[in-house]
Amino acid sequence: MYELRYRRPADLAEAASLFEAAEDPAYISGGHTLLPTLKGRLAAPDALIDLRRLPELKGIRREGDRLVVGAGEVHRDVAASPDVREALPALAGLAGSIGDVHVRNHGTIGGSVANNDPAADYPAAVLGLGAVVRTNRREIAADDYFQGLFTTALEEGEIVVALSFPTGAECGYAKFRNPASRYAMAAVFVARFADAVRVAVTGAGNDGVFRWTAAEKALATSFSPEALADLSVAEADMIDDLHGSAEYRRHLVSVIAERAVANMGRAVVTP
Amino acid sequence: MTEKLFRHIGKPVERKEDARLVTGKGRFSDDFRLAGQAHAAIVRSPHPHARIRGIETAEALSSPGVLLVLTGRDCLDDGLEPIPHNPVPSTKYDMKLTAPGGGVPFIGPHHLLPDDKVRHVGEAVAIVVAETQAQALDGAERVLVDYEILPHVIHSEDAIAAGAPAVWDEVPENAFVDTRFGDWKGTERAFEQATHVVSAKFHVNRVTAVPLEPRSALASFDVETGRYVLYAGSGGAVRQKRELSSVLGIDPSRLRVLSYDVGGNFGARNRVYVEFGLVLWASQKLGRPVKYTATRSEAFLTDYQGRDLVTTVELALDEDGRFLALRADNISNVGARCVSLSPLSKGSGLITGSYDIPVAALRARAVFTNTMCTQAYRSSGRPEVTYAIERLIEIAARRLGFDPLELRLRNLVPPEAMPYRNAVGSIYDSGEYEKNMDRALVIADWAGFEARRQAAAERGKLLGRGFANYVESSIGTPKERAEITVKPDGTIEVVIGTQPSGQGHETSFAQVVAEMLDAPVENVTIVLGDTDVVSVGGGSHSGRSMRHAGTVMAMASADLVAEARRRAAELFDAPEEDVSFEGGRLVLPGTNHAVDLFELARLTERDHGPLFAARTNEMHTPVFPNGAAACEVEIDPKTGLVEITRYASVDDVGRCINPLIVHGQTHGGIAQGVGQAMWEECHVEPSSGQPVSGSFMDYGMPRSDNMPSFICEIAEVISPTNPLGIKAGGEGGTTPALAVVTNAVIDALRDTGVEDLPMPLTPLTVWKAIRHGAGHTDEDTRTTS
Repeated sequence: MYELRYRRPADLAEAASLFEAAEDPAYISGGHTLLPTLKGRLAAPDALIDLRRLPELKGIRREGDRLVVGAGEVHRDVAASPDVREALPALAGLAGSIGDVHVRNHGTIGGSVANNDPAADYPAAVLGLGAVVRTNRREIAADDYFQGLFTTALEEGEIVVALSFPTGAECGYAKFRNPASRYAMAAVFVARFADAVRVAVTGAGNDGVFRWTAAEKALATSFSPEALADLSVAEADMIDDLHGSAEYRRHLVSVIAERAVANMGRAVVTP
Repeated sequence: MTEKLFRHIGKPVERKEDARLVTGKGRFSDDFRLAGQAHAAIVRSPHPHARIRGIETAEALSSPGVLLVLTGRDCLDDGLEPIPHNPVPSTKYDMKLTAPGGGVPFIGPHHLLPDDKVRHVGEAVAIVVAETQAQALDGAERVLVDYEILPHVIHSEDAIAAGAPAVWDEVPENAFVDTRFGDWKGTERAFEQATHVVSAKFHVNRVTAVPLEPRSALASFDVETGRYVLYAGSGGAVRQKRELSSVLGIDPSRLRVLSYDVGGNFGARNRVYVEFGLVLWASQKLGRPVKYTATRSEAFLTDYQGRDLVTTVELALDEDGRFLALRADNISNVGARCVSLSPLSKGSGLITGSYDIPVAALRARAVFTNTMCTQAYRSSGRPEVTYAIERLIEIAARRLGFDPLELRLRNLVPPEAMPYRNAVGSIYDSGEYEKNMDRALVIADWAGFEARRQAAAERGKLLGRGFANYVESSIGTPKERAEITVKPDGTIEVVIGTQPSGQGHETSFAQVVAEMLDAPVENVTIVLGDTDVVSVGGGSHSGRSMRHAGTVMAMASADLVAEARRRAAELFDAPEEDVSFEGGRLVLPGTNHAVDLFELARLTERDHGPLFAARTNEMHTPVFPNGAAACEVEIDPKTGLVEITRYASVDDVGRCINPLIVHGQTHGGIAQGVGQAMWEECHVEPSSGQPVSGSFMDYGMPRSDNMPSFICEIAEVISPTNPLGIKAGGEGGTTPALAVVTNAVIDALRDTGVEDLPMPLTPLTVWKAIRHGAGHTDEDTRTTS
């Protein structure tokens, strides 16, 4: 790690102004991607601004037909929240399936969504539910927010404040984990609304989280695992690495999507 | 030693060291700090193979806080010697490996820093010492190395192919060992007469030890006395002292090595690391203590690695399935230079496994490649050859239509043949192989498999079962010394030269001495790991510690009792032969004269000094721990995911001193073997020569949530080779595990026609086999009639 200044602002305004003042700043909100990068000397911010304790980023609450989760909430608290468990049990299950107990006590939903790691869990829920990303500057629809590997619609210095999820959908999440890292190798979030179905895939796509529109159409017509039987994603769009060839990931996406549909109302994780 | 009821030996005494270790009171290498210590960072090669044209250090030296930069040129200028690894196993009972055409193999000198070429990614090329660790790292980035990139070679078979790049100019063909063992003509004849010949080729993949505690060293140099001190955890401080003093060119008495608690070894810590020599050298040049602690990334890159054997095996059988002959061609990938030939040598002596095969022949080769060096890794060489024969038997049974268990039973070495000389000359001391096999099948509920298989099938899962026998050899450094002092304060101090890294020596060794001296276990303290106190000792490897230490401690205890009787006789004013030792007391029967050992120590200290005995013992005859293991796996055909649902083993460890500790070791050993079969792999991309699995993101590990509960039993067939009858217990869990798991996975896939799959058996590998039906070995079967 190179020398840097660690800052813990008291509120959102101070966080933004610290960012303005620094030459090459970085926000941190859990740091499970950033800290290893820093330790490997692959990034060299001069200021590290910790967002985890900002009061504006805290809280999980119902707002009418929305569930609003503060960006600073750690995975453990999302998983254990009675509001989340009642409104979106698959989201609670997803949060409880991230990493290990240390990760869940430290990592935040905002950090995960802002980072947009191609194997992260939360992007699948945010895109699958068509959530709204609330920042300190605006609201961004999920469909506009995710823009490729580690890339989002966030502007320089913009901070995710909360995630606003619709609660009118029944959801399911299924994940097949990488045997080494335990990150998703293919994971699928399915949200069944009264008038539509949304399907988001993480861990598999070489451009990060994506919507599988063919599956959405098929499930809108007939909501069952069998509806996906003849569908598959494009192999050329899949990640190809030591743990999973593109061919294998393409196959996994179909299998795991079927499991999500067959297990609505919860998250199923293998292994 | 006559059989008698033991008071302490054989009891599941809870580990004395655990309270200390789980409350943070362990003394691991990185826990030590010395006033004024500076910090070292290592500049490492990014290339698998390159000539060093020059190293520019000026910019690094001007970097803030940097105190010293040293390169391979400085190493030569200061006359430092290469590390004397002495890699060729050379006891009377080791298989003798030689260079092609005979003679002593060229091993590739291991200088602390190279001056000519780098030969693997991660090789140290310079050390930078600075006031802080961050400054050392900043300085290391400013060392500019001018490399001329050379073609590289990663896999052993590529390395011996014509036209491969030479890792060492001295060995243009890369194969620096090429030795033939056994009876080649006799084997040839047996193969010609055989009804069936079955052959297969396997690659036992490369793994790394992943100890919890990364390697670390803190060196200091005393200008006034000219003496060095090194705090560095290892597998044995005495070897570190001997070899590092040779590197520095100093008398061994000028180096003190301290190795207290060690967070995992598995073989990786038995050999000297360049960084240990580098911090010693730097501390002398600076006149300040210098510390180095590896990061996890450095550990993945440059801890000594394990396995990496390509083996081609052929088995000749008669029409009834009797094994007639075995032929093997084993190629060990030692990496960029040769640190140890133990794996190749150990395996060479055991190619026939647990089976009575009349004649065998082996070609054993070791080759250099542009990869990190390999070293003995838990059960060095034995899991490799166990894998070869147990997989081959399975393949033979399938191809020829034999029941795989029947085929094994028909060919096992029977107990009445013990001691049994195998076809390559190893003499198995004792064992009841068939009994192990029968018992393992019972505790694994082999008979209940079919019902479980059907139940799994109803859930859409493929259940498979695997079995393997094993026999391994425990040789190890022959010399060990014990010093025992009975103190007037009621304690007994034992100085011994082995080095635990989690094996519980402080408890099991104490049990032996407590037994011999009829004292409470808690009163016995084991002193280890300081070469100023421990003068002789072979360290901990090859399952040698309990056997060698147990024997020499028993001998020293007997000497101590003799000395106590002499002193008591004087005290009682009676003839020595009338004094007896009973219940920890010296008594003169028929009188009221009695004194316990501690009181005797107090009463006689002034006239005779401490009540003390020391014994150095050499013991050469090897022992052959053995056993059998069975497991079941459940495969999800849709994802290729393998889950181990059952694992049972029976392990003959000879006399078991502490079953609680032996079971713990067996469990860890199984996990380590299963880890290799299922997840672990040091993957180096052949085209770039770059290690890919350099962190836990890509290197899969056995974990508590992917292991079943183990069903383990200890068999105690007392070894006739040593007074306590000990064999060894640390490695038996690992030895058969690779074969057992692979056999089970292949069994589960039987309907797909898959005959063989390479380790690790990841979901990707298994799914591809199911999808494409791939997975036959290149080799074939010949049946004549």
